[in-house]
Amino acid sequence: MPAAVVEPFAEILRDVPGYLRSLTGRSRPIIGYFCTHTPIELIHAAGFLPVRIFGGTGEVDLAYTLAPTFVCPPMLRSLEAALGGAYAFLTGIVQGYTCDVACGMVNIWQEAFPGIMCHTLPLPYNDCVEGRDFLRAALTELIAKLERLGGHLTSEGLARSLDVYAAIRHSLLDLYRMRYADLLPLAADDFYDIIHAAFIVAPEEYLTMLHELKGSLEEVSPPSTEGVPVLVAGSIIEDSSVFRILESVGARVVADDLCTGFRPFHTPEGEGPEPIERLMDRYLRRLPCPSRCRAEERLPMILELIRFSKAQGVVFLPQKFCTPHLADEPVLRRALAQEGIRSLVVELEATGIHAGQLTTRLQSFVEMLKES
Amino acid sequence: MEEKKKKSTKRLQSARELNRIVAEYYLECNAAKASGKPVGWMPPMNGVIEVFYAMDLQPVFPENWSPVCAAFGLTPDNFQRTDALGYSRDLCGYLRNITGYVYGPMHGEGIPLGGLPEPDLILSPGGGCIPVQKIFHILERRFPEAKVFRADLPQVAVEDIQPHHLRYALKEMERLIAFLEGATGRTLNPDRLHAAVMVSDQACALWDEIMSYRRCIPTPLSAAEIGIMFVMVTRQGTQIAVDFLTQVRDEVRQRAEHGIGVIEDEKLRLFWDNIPLWYNMGVFNYFEKMGGVVVAETYSAAWSLRLDVDHPLEALALKSLMSYPLVSCVSLKKRKEMVLKACREYAIDGAILHRNKSCVPITLGQMHIKQALEEELGVPSVIIDADHMDDQNFSLAQFETRVDAFMEMLLSRKSASTGHAR
Repeated sequence: MPAAVVEPFAEILRDVPGYLRSLTGRSRPIIGYFCTHTPIELIHAAGFLPVRIFGGTGEVDLAYTLAPTFVCPPMLRSLEAALGGAYAFLTGIVQGYTCDVACGMVNIWQEAFPGIMCHTLPLPYNDCVEGRDFLRAALTELIAKLERLGGHLTSEGLARSLDVYAAIRHSLLDLYRMRYADLLPLAADDFYDIIHAAFIVAPEEYLTMLHELKGSLEEVSPPSTEGVPVLVAGSIIEDSSVFRILESVGARVVADDLCTGFRPFHTPEGEGPEPIERLMDRYLRRLPCPSRCRAEERLPMILELIRFSKAQGVVFLPQKFCTPHLADEPVLRRALAQEGIRSLVVELEATGIHAGQLTTRLQSFVEMLKES
Repeated sequence: MEEKKKKSTKRLQSARELNRIVAEYYLECNAAKASGKPVGWMPPMNGVIEVFYAMDLQPVFPENWSPVCAAFGLTPDNFQRTDALGYSRDLCGYLRNITGYVYGPMHGEGIPLGGLPEPDLILSPGGGCIPVQKIFHILERRFPEAKVFRADLPQVAVEDIQPHHLRYALKEMERLIAFLEGATGRTLNPDRLHAAVMVSDQACALWDEIMSYRRCIPTPLSAAEIGIMFVMVTRQGTQIAVDFLTQVRDEVRQRAEHGIGVIEDEKLRLFWDNIPLWYNMGVFNYFEKMGGVVVAETYSAAWSLRLDVDHPLEALALKSLMSYPLVSCVSLKKRKEMVLKACREYAIDGAILHRNKSCVPITLGQMHIKQALEEELGVPSVIIDADHMDDQNFSLAQFETRVDAFMEMLLSRKSASTGHAR
């Protein structure tokens, strides 16, 4: 059972497609996205509700008629959900270019659902004058597509959207800081339910929910400081039972480097004289996904998070077949070992979390950390 | 186990010449290093190769080294070393092979063709597939002395290329040239670049011409000889490619004019989607026992990009933008269109879709291609589960069972429609 203060977030997550369907007619048209390199502020400012596409947990069946088995489970599950009708309300998909699978899936969705607008936004890998010029042109192309869908973008509107998303990021980073300082009275699975809802709920409403949450936190019992502090790293973790299992075996999740966690909220806002420049600045300076950077560029932030949070070990939870993460892990693990930080890798399978197996592996790791 | 590794049977005299071309290329790479000529490692399929040859720099393609390792049986040792470094076996076979190679003995006994010379320059791509980007991150770590150019290329479907994409790709070409000039002290002579682009375009024209003869029935050239594309990967921008392809073209043309097919009684014309099994090119000959010949494949299209020789740099920028999307899921719509076009033009009876565990970008979208082949052309297809590098992900017995049944079905269909396929 989630803590009472988390219930408004948890309730939405229990049936995300149902929640989104319930918005039909009383919300803006919904545009989906897979990866957090998508400029959601711009989509929002153009009059749409950007919602991250998740597949939830469960078996994959229909998706195998369109995709091979050896792609990451979240993408397969999302396709499965869509083929089952869960995303019938989507007006379009916009995807900031990250990995091969996300890119390929956008095209597969386009083929499977020809009625929706699908757009992959190419993003520069280098932050330089020419790269920013290119990004501006690429965003202009996206704006034109959104306007063809009935959207309308003004500079003032973009500024407002940038502000609201920046406020969310600042607010969530506050929660993270409380967590590092052992001041957040929430179990990890509750905490990540709050984070997860940020990708689903309309930003204005979510911000209100966050304010209400913060106001109620004082009523919650002081946080437990028991358990070995660990940092969790990886990509998408939808099933928060992983965090529950981790904490049940004596760990305490104090920090993360996840794309359903800290990473998309890093660099809450960008700088620049015009709203479009603020937008570009933020997306070019944010902490990147491994599909868009070298392991060495992620490492300093991971070390800093470990230092802030006093994590004693790192648990890598990559999705099976996720090339960007799997290719960087050996490098990160070696670098962590050189710093005297132990780590464990557990790949998340297509069939979901095998609680027994996961418990055993995490338990051994936590025991090892306790002894060291 | 050994059955899983088999070389293809080649019929062209000129294709046999390829062994010499391959050996000479790697000799040249090592001689360049020995003589102090700067050696640059880069991904294939972009417009950098012509710039390199125009500047008298030595291009080396680690990705292309992997098929050589597969052919010479080096792959298992390379994979083992990569496993020991902690890399997942689910990663692309090219990445696993080259990682193991560069962290093992790169030269000396047991390493064919002298191995690869260590790089002075590394052109690390931002763009293309993730495994290739990660390969180059690994190479940057392995060769910290090399000067690194961090390239950037918009990831955009071919049909969606706009002037701003091209403008950025062109800026990147200019930045690359400035980097190469600064790093090597050599200057790019525009006349030499023009000449390199001219011969590169000639090679593309020859490639197209060679491919066009495959439309003849019977086809004079099958996928078993597709190793000829080695010159398109490593020698574009040189006369070597043009000379070799001219020789191949002459022979293929002659065979076509005289009605000489790959096999005596061609009954079925097949299309192959995705990368070949580099450790077993012999599978292309397997179809022949039932009268099948692979007359077209996805990869051929990647080398058909003609260049605007009057605007060399723009042409190379466009080539860089287009090459990868054309054969990957970046451009699924275009790829589907190209496969359908090839199947029409080459009078294809059936398609073999290699579901390649080592290449997600080409494999993603295959099911839609399969569907389109069936619905729009009535061309049946079969999926073969394998891997272009790792034979552990390939079962010869399963391959044969699936192919035999597929070929039987195709023969029956053909027999029913023409009355004389069998």
